[in-house]
Amino acid sequence: MKRHLFYLFTLCSTLFAGCMEWDYGQTEEFGGGDAGEMITTPSASGDMPEGHVTGSGLFITCEGNFQYGNATLSYYDAEARHVENEIFKRANGFKLGDVAQSMVIRKNVGWIVVNNSHVIFAIDINTFKEVGRITNLTSPRYIHFLSDEKAYVTQLWDNRIFVVNPKTFEITGHIECPRMTMETGSTEQMVQWGRYVYVNCWSYQNRILKIDTLTDRVVDELEVGIQPTSLVLDKYGKMWTITDGGYEGSPYGYEAPVLYCIDAETFRVERQFRFKKGDAPSEVQINGTGDKLYWINKSVWCMDVTAKHVPARPFLKYNKTIYYGLTVNPLNNEVYVADAIDYQQQGVILRYSEEGDLLDEFYVGIIPGAFCWR
Amino acid sequence: MKKLLLWASALLLCPLLRAQEKPSRHFDIREVTVVGQRPMKEIGVQKTRFDSVMLKENIALSMADVLTFNSSIFVKSYGRATLSTVAFRGTSPSHTQVTWNDMRINNPMLGMTDFSMIPSYFIDDASLLHGTSSVNETGGGLGGAVKLATRPAGNLGFGMQYIQGIGSFGTYDEFLRLTYGDDHWQSSTRVVYSSSRNDYKYVNRDKKENIYDEDHNIIGSYHPTERNKSASFKDLHVLQEVYYNTGRGDRMGLNLWYVNSNRELPMLTTDYADELSFENRQREHTLRGIFSWDHLRDRWKMGAKFGYIHTWMAYDYKRDKGNGEMASMTRSRSKVNTLFGKVDGEFAPGEKWLFTANVTMHQHLVESVDKNIITQVGNKAVVGYDKGRFELSTAVSAKWRPIDRFGMSLVLREELYGDEWTPLIPALFLDGVISRKGNIVAKASISRNYRFPTLNDLYFLPGGNTDLKKESGFTYDAGLSFGVGRKGRYTLSGGVNWFDSYIDDWIIWLPTMKGFFSPRNIKKVHAYGIETNADLSVALSRDWMLGMKGTFSWTPSINEGEMMSPADRSVGKQLPYVPEYSATVSGSLRWRTWSLLYKWCYYSRRYTMSSNDISLTGYLTPYYMSNLSLEKTLSFKWADLSLKGAINNLFDEEYLSVLSRPMPGINFEIFIGITPKWGCRRK
Repeated sequence: MKRHLFYLFTLCSTLFAGCMEWDYGQTEEFGGGDAGEMITTPSASGDMPEGHVTGSGLFITCEGNFQYGNATLSYYDAEARHVENEIFKRANGFKLGDVAQSMVIRKNVGWIVVNNSHVIFAIDINTFKEVGRITNLTSPRYIHFLSDEKAYVTQLWDNRIFVVNPKTFEITGHIECPRMTMETGSTEQMVQWGRYVYVNCWSYQNRILKIDTLTDRVVDELEVGIQPTSLVLDKYGKMWTITDGGYEGSPYGYEAPVLYCIDAETFRVERQFRFKKGDAPSEVQINGTGDKLYWINKSVWCMDVTAKHVPARPFLKYNKTIYYGLTVNPLNNEVYVADAIDYQQQGVILRYSEEGDLLDEFYVGIIPGAFCWR
Repeated sequence: MKKLLLWASALLLCPLLRAQEKPSRHFDIREVTVVGQRPMKEIGVQKTRFDSVMLKENIALSMADVLTFNSSIFVKSYGRATLSTVAFRGTSPSHTQVTWNDMRINNPMLGMTDFSMIPSYFIDDASLLHGTSSVNETGGGLGGAVKLATRPAGNLGFGMQYIQGIGSFGTYDEFLRLTYGDDHWQSSTRVVYSSSRNDYKYVNRDKKENIYDEDHNIIGSYHPTERNKSASFKDLHVLQEVYYNTGRGDRMGLNLWYVNSNRELPMLTTDYADELSFENRQREHTLRGIFSWDHLRDRWKMGAKFGYIHTWMAYDYKRDKGNGEMASMTRSRSKVNTLFGKVDGEFAPGEKWLFTANVTMHQHLVESVDKNIITQVGNKAVVGYDKGRFELSTAVSAKWRPIDRFGMSLVLREELYGDEWTPLIPALFLDGVISRKGNIVAKASISRNYRFPTLNDLYFLPGGNTDLKKESGFTYDAGLSFGVGRKGRYTLSGGVNWFDSYIDDWIIWLPTMKGFFSPRNIKKVHAYGIETNADLSVALSRDWMLGMKGTFSWTPSINEGEMMSPADRSVGKQLPYVPEYSATVSGSLRWRTWSLLYKWCYYSRRYTMSSNDISLTGYLTPYYMSNLSLEKTLSFKWADLSLKGAINNLFDEEYLSVLSRPMPGINFEIFIGITPKWGCRRK
């Protein structure tokens, strides 16, 4: 009997002992290290001046799947046509988080807003290593810098815009947004004109808010169509936003989407370009010189900011997929379009010339949604 | 420290138990079922049945736990006491139909069933009907069906059983059963109450904590040891059953099952929020009731069942605004009322024929409120839907066994969902005895099947798509089973089954150009593979008994749909989160009144991307899990006592079942049970 038991024990311990293997916490050196060759580092020896964009490198934030914590950050060297994926994880040895929403660069530091991780990571844009983080945010969407010591963070599911100190990585206050509750709170992209910051309110909202940066208060608001999705500023001081029009059956309403041109000085709508009901325009972007608009409406469209009509033909034709993200190289007007495919695999970025010729394509992470030029 | 105390108590009790031991207990090795006794109703059916030992092995187990360690189907768990779904043969959870005493309990909004909410102690009879075999019971089971049932306790007089479990992470389980029975009446009341802080520690490999200098420069970092935050739960289940048997061929039963669940939803490993600033909670109140009547005669029988389900579910996501006031960010509420009715009959004109027919209906009424908004004119409105659907399923079958060695069965089923009928659903089953010596039986079956969209698929705002088509499936399978043994010495049985199924118009939720998700009929999936099982029981000696059970499955589930864009790399690849290989082994060793049980399960690597790419951020390594338990029973004149210790995750594995959902390391629970002897005896 003892022999039987011995055999049984041996069988169990050899066959069924724990052997799940994980590859944890390994890090790589970028920006001068082994893998640093792929990065052009114009600023390796010193800070770039504020607002300077080289157009040589592109960060792509890949949202990942909501609630699965598989957001990633990719970096594309436009000159070498080389992409490196998962650079945050590889440089830091831990995950970026759940739903990477947006990224901006200020003085060699990249600020990555990770929506459902309730965090904003600050990374060195050469080494990709973390230099700090802002936590305890509600559901952050975008960050906009006013100075080295002050920035605004917009949120979903919160009727407050947070004021943060990027130097100390602390939340220092908040701006109450009128006619919103926590449940219906939604503030999105920000642009600045003088002392005022403008922000579009998207989810079940129809407004652009005007914030006085000296008092951190909403001082005015402008009603537009249902759900303005994005906001940019052209070289003439005109803001452009595009509404998605809601959806059929929505108690908030359902209407034809509209592209709005709003004068930042007077805060009044100057022009409107109405789309067909059922269209779903989004992702208004502007080129580096601030005179051409781009947006997605099934296809990719391009329009001069002084145009009187929306063009009849798209810049890029619909290609049997839903384009998810869009950016324009600020230096040479090349257009980058993100295709999330089925939202469960690595998305692809398509790079087009200013004339619309395909120049390159490369795979990044799951659901590439936002871009950031260095 | 608490763990140590628990085990110290258990060890201290051992000498006492030894002193009170009865000399021995004899084990019964049943005789292998002879081929001629195969039930006519199960001709060609691929069925996995769970015996009461598996179901009642541990009061703390949910059906999700039981299925994980004892079957070939895939259980996807989002954490301890968190959503757990099951899927057969590479299909999705909504392709698994689940019935409780013949009433379908799949959530009509989502189509799936949360098995973490079904305590195994409430189930007396459970079986899996693989693939085509589910057509015998219900439509829509493109993967299969899980059949759960309760049974009369069969006791005479009053009976009581009380078990208490105390475990790691502040876990307390209480189980009480009161029974009464006489020649005609059987009554049973069961109560299960489980609560836990569920705040197990784990090393969070998805995060690093930074060490800063005075100038806020990072000078070091480390993976923090964190607790499973916001994960406590309190679940109460009450099951009342009353059965009346006239003794002249009529039986009636009433089953009422009440669930009151209050669970926090654990934070992701990648969440940097302060757990005290947020509340993420799901609550559920469900009442399921069934009245049944069966009328049995020598050659025919008929029965009727009427049931009702009421479910109220609430999901709240709140955050502290900084002043201690928790403001609601999301406040979802849903109410589901389901009326159920079933009439069935069987007629056996002779030994060779059996005819069956049944009609089942469900009327669902669903009210779902997902979001409160302020409209453009300042009024308040809700985003949600209020819809109902009538579902009818009717089936007739003819089963024919002209000779002992061969049987065939034809099932014809038709279903109505709303105002849409399915085409006729045929299913053909064959079985034949190849060898009487080894009880080798060959089985084969073939069927069509359809699954209609769920109510969320159709009406959820935003995204519901009323233009969805029903999914259609075509499955065939074939297999061999055997059984050998010697009464009182050993039994060995097993089987191997091959299946092949095609599902068209598979519904998946994808983002629209508007940004929100909406379901579409996109995928075409080819799922095929092999399922095997084996079961060995050996009486090693008068006092020793060894049992071994195992399953192994190979289930490729391949996306054969159209490319979704020119860059799509998912076609021809395994579906994400579906393991290609899975296996379970359980071994039990019993000596007199001692019982040692070892359970092990394995899932191969699961892809998290449809393209099957492996990345640092998105992969799940092969999964191995081992649990061990030791039980001692004592029999006194006045009561039976049981003492049990269980170790879960024996090898203290760090593991994930779903990305970013931490699972507990090694953990312990002890159970003490008492069954007073009040003159209660088995019928």
